[in-house]
Amino acid sequence: MPVPFESLIPFAIISGMFLVTGTGIRYAQTTRNEGKRARYSLDDWDRKMMQRDTQLTGTMRGQVDEPVASPEFKVNSSWKVYDSLRNDFA
Amino acid sequence: MVNPGYKYFKGEDWVDPTPPPAHLTHVDEVGSSGAPLKSASFFIGTQCKEYNEDFMLCKNENRNPEHCLLEGRKVTRCAIDALQKIQSKCQSEFRAHWECLDRKNQELGRCREHEKGLNDCLFTAFAWKKNVPDAPTNKPQIHERTPLTS
Repeated sequence: MPVPFESLIPFAIISGMFLVTGTGIRYAQTTRNEGKRARYSLDDWDRKMMQRDTQLTGTMRGQVDEPVASPEFKVNSSWKVYDSLRNDFA
Repeated sequence: MVNPGYKYFKGEDWVDPTPPPAHLTHVDEVGSSGAPLKSASFFIGTQCKEYNEDFMLCKNENRNPEHCLLEGRKVTRCAIDALQKIQSKCQSEFRAHWECLDRKNQELGRCREHEKGLNDCLFTAFAWKKNVPDAPTNKPQIHERTPLTS
């Protein structure tokens, strides 16, 4: 007698759950990183560079390529707000 | 552009309006963020080698920020100059390369085709060649290696 289809339903459910968690994690990371993949293996240099990016653009993954910074770059401090509560260096 | 800030702390409210002290010379800051700087890093390194080495030797003597302000200004201006030159001639290849780097965790080894485009463009425009300092000379440099199987 061939394999009954009812016995394969649990496998389908397990695969579906893998898909759901994978999609959910990818959605959460993509939303946090403005559509880009999350950064990994960050060392001190990368974290400090990302903090400089926050100072320049307002978000940790925003990039600009002007040679000269705007004059507010030296004197703004909104990137320091809630710095003690933020914990988003993965 | 002012840092956008948050919903209840608008960026414009967080800019300090007091002028800096008069005895400090004004210098424009480099306005590129991480990915463009990494993309242009080897070219800035070859163009600004003397200024960078001066700055590092000066810092070696004394870590006080006031001691090395002059060398720091020279480093900043040289980097701005190098970036302006890159942007004037090879802007589209430069943008393609750093956008690729931004998607690939800023790893240079994963964006070699865009890097090749940028290197060729800069070589034809300014005769700048990307050189990894202190690389062994008996082998091709890592960005010029061809795959064994193709």
